[in-house]
Amino acid sequence: MTFNARTLPSNDNVNPYSFCVDVASEMFIQKGKMIAYYGSLRFEAISAGPYDALIRQSFNSPLYANDFVVVTGHGKLILGDRGYNISSFDLEDGNLTVRSPNMLGFDPSLICQESTVPGYLTLLGTGKFLASSNGEVHFLEPPVRVDEDALLGWADMPSPSYRYNYSYMRGKFGMVRGMVSNRTTGEERQLDFTGQGTVLIQSSEAALGGAADLEEVIARSSSLGQNELQQLLGNIQQRLQNR
Amino acid sequence: MLLVRLRNEEVFAKRGAMIAYTGFVEFAPSSSGSEGMRGAAMRSVTGERMTLMSARGTGEVLYAFYGMHVTMISLRGETFYAESESVLAYDGRLRSGTEFLGQGGAGGLIRGAATGSGLFTTTLEGMGELAIVSEGGAIALDVTPQRPIFADPQAYVGHRGQIHSTLVTDVGWKTFVGQSSGESYQLKFTGQGTVYIQAAERGGNR
Repeated sequence: MTFNARTLPSNDNVNPYSFCVDVASEMFIQKGKMIAYYGSLRFEAISAGPYDALIRQSFNSPLYANDFVVVTGHGKLILGDRGYNISSFDLEDGNLTVRSPNMLGFDPSLICQESTVPGYLTLLGTGKFLASSNGEVHFLEPPVRVDEDALLGWADMPSPSYRYNYSYMRGKFGMVRGMVSNRTTGEERQLDFTGQGTVLIQSSEAALGGAADLEEVIARSSSLGQNELQQLLGNIQQRLQNR
Repeated sequence: MLLVRLRNEEVFAKRGAMIAYTGFVEFAPSSSGSEGMRGAAMRSVTGERMTLMSARGTGEVLYAFYGMHVTMISLRGETFYAESESVLAYDGRLRSGTEFLGQGGAGGLIRGAATGSGLFTTTLEGMGELAIVSEGGAIALDVTPQRPIFADPQAYVGHRGQIHSTLVTDVGWKTFVGQSSGESYQLKFTGQGTVYIQAAERGGNR
């Protein structure tokens, strides 16, 4: 099956791992996820300037300004993300929070803000957005506890809190306190969701950390004081030794 | 995964990609595929290396490569251009070779350097079947003189037909102050034919 500009699906999946967007005016996409396009499209960095009004209206997230670009023009744009599954979601006057590396693109009719949970972005309003996942997306209803590595996001509900297993807590209180590395698995620490809404998980624990997480840590550390920085340094040194 | 039924025929495949077989099949390393001594010399000089195994005989052979998707392509006398790492297996009837991409002058040279794919590409020519591997399956996209296509060099898998590729750059001062759009290098394909892309970028986070 060979596609051309006319036979390519319109705002739908080409295969489970790639998605074709009919670009008619403007759209936000994550940097570097374009794999091909027909037509005349332009890619501009958010910080580059020409779309001030658009960005004022819908992109309220300085921390991630370098991770997204604005696509303008007319054409068919195909997006792909490391061979991950891509799904499209419709948001109707709602709010939805997604892990930032999995947020592939969104309509400018939505407002994008940073979530209070580090590493997540929240979309508000009405419009379409695209998310990637390692494996298919599954929907859960609260109350539910989820391994953070498998969590993709949550919709229409309050932010989650961490829930630690009791034996892990006891370990932390005891002699070994400070000696155990901060590495946790989903069996020791989960995100606890309560209230009404939907939780989105992927069918894999492949965390998408890397560069995005590092940026996050650096950005957050700017508000730390002398003592906290010392603590952070000690923690990092310990983890390096444990490797 | 790819299943090849051989009836006293020969197939060339990536070395180490055979995972199982039945029947009477002889495997032999082949550094040159079906291109002879001159081709082999060309490959070792150009670095567009394909380490191949030939399988000859009668039986069934299973090939797979890191769980990647396999796409079959039938050639009817035309030439297929592929990145050597994307070629999983091909029919013994196809002739393989290497081609210099730098013919487009400086553009071609920059293209190779920017995409990390080198200045040479693998060609397969003739009548027969070819299997390519990709992340998430190869997507075939038509190119016509009226409708060129732009692709991310790292998502490009191969192409066939009368296609000319040029590297379009969007590199300006913004790129150097860290405000690039992330799509600074694009391959523009013009002419008549089909371009194959995959839903992932080589050399990404993996």
